[in-house]
Amino acid sequence: MITPVPTTAAQSSLLSRWEVRHKLVALLALIFSFSMIRELWLLPLIILVTVVIYSLSQLSFAYYWTRLRLPGFFLLMLALILPFGAGSTVLARIGPLALKLEGSLAVLLIAGKFLCIFALVLVLFAGTPLQKMVGALRCLGLPALLAEMLVFTNRYIYQLLTDLCQTQVAAGLRGFKGRSVRSLKPLAYIVGTLLVRSHNQSERVFQAMTLRGYGEESLVLKAGPVRTGDRLALAVALLLAAGFVFLQFFYFRAS
Amino acid sequence: MHIPDGILPVSVALGGYAAAGGMTWFSLKRIKSIFKNPRELIPRASLLTAVFFVASLIHIPVPPTSVHLILSGLLGIILGWFAFPAILVGLFFQAVMFQHGGLTTMGINACLIGIPALLAGALFRSRRYFGKDNKVTNGLLAFLGSFMALGLGALVAALLLIYTIPAQLDVSAERAAIITLAGAHLPVALLEGGFTALVVLFLLRVKPELLEAEEK
Repeated sequence: MITPVPTTAAQSSLLSRWEVRHKLVALLALIFSFSMIRELWLLPLIILVTVVIYSLSQLSFAYYWTRLRLPGFFLLMLALILPFGAGSTVLARIGPLALKLEGSLAVLLIAGKFLCIFALVLVLFAGTPLQKMVGALRCLGLPALLAEMLVFTNRYIYQLLTDLCQTQVAAGLRGFKGRSVRSLKPLAYIVGTLLVRSHNQSERVFQAMTLRGYGEESLVLKAGPVRTGDRLALAVALLLAAGFVFLQFFYFRAS
Repeated sequence: MHIPDGILPVSVALGGYAAAGGMTWFSLKRIKSIFKNPRELIPRASLLTAVFFVASLIHIPVPPTSVHLILSGLLGIILGWFAFPAILVGLFFQAVMFQHGGLTTMGINACLIGIPALLAGALFRSRRYFGKDNKVTNGLLAFLGSFMALGLGALVAALLLIYTIPAQLDVSAERAAIITLAGAHLPVALLEGGFTALVVLFLLRVKPELLEAEEK
């Protein structure tokens, strides 16, 4: 159900050694600058930047493709609807449907941006342990309550997935097939049971944590040391992001 | 209902982050005013967030296909003001684990799911005016809250997508797109309402204090 990140390749890459706060700010700046683009002429540039960054991450294309399946469905829907539903300049007719220029260009722009941003999101999260990512977010101003919730939730997701699988196997052994809408009631009871068990467990967890000193001070998540290379890479990424914004909002509007 | 990256204009994405930031601040403020020591509740809220994350992976069979539920209404009913931070956490994990949703759209997605979840919670807590122990009232309010939470989120998401796509849709295509998107979510909203009502009725029998976190 949850495919793990290929940590061996990603964690030995140049990008994985980048200090997490700097990596987060740099890639987020690039992601937001990509999402600002409205000119098709800028697409090859952002694709080039994305290919370079993705290559540096040492993630495989197969990994990209596997991860694309779920979010790619939304893109596919847009690609099927927009070229026929948006715009007025007819390019071709396919039976009763008219393929329109404006809609086709809109799909090209959306797909280009989506695929580039998607690659950067993969690079951002692959090879960065969640604990470090939360530490970086906390240093950048994430409220303590949210940071603690992220850490605790991560701690229990995998345990609950195992619990859910066991409960479903047990229900299956007792004859539950879950092939029709009538299975809504047993499934609701399974979720209800998970909620009750987790609530009871949370009380025990809190008592155990209190005994170990939880509640006296906020969860400490330290950021790693910063090197010159981290700052330099951040500066390059920010310059690139600023360059895209400049080209989009000043160069293309002036020309 | 999760809007991915690259589709919305950056002004809308940033507006979404501003709104989500405001909602998070307001939720944390309310949590601090309701509970004496909010940190006491973090393990409980986190564990329940993990349950919702895992439960949203369950596929409900709707022959010939199956759907997965969002459970935002149930989240609002059980977690109250913790629902908004919980949804942010859930969206973060969905982006990390499945690349579902997006980073630039996390703010807008949090608002689309979180605000209706809070409304569903508020609607359910109005049971104190209609008879707190009445099974029918509890089930009905849970159904309505959850149905509304998904329906409202889907409708606003559909309107946002249609009015911000960078090419002008013609009026008939626009109307058809809204009806199609809203229509596709209607059976899911009904299922979600029914599912939430069943879980709430189960909890009323087994562990009613889970539904009373903010009613004391």
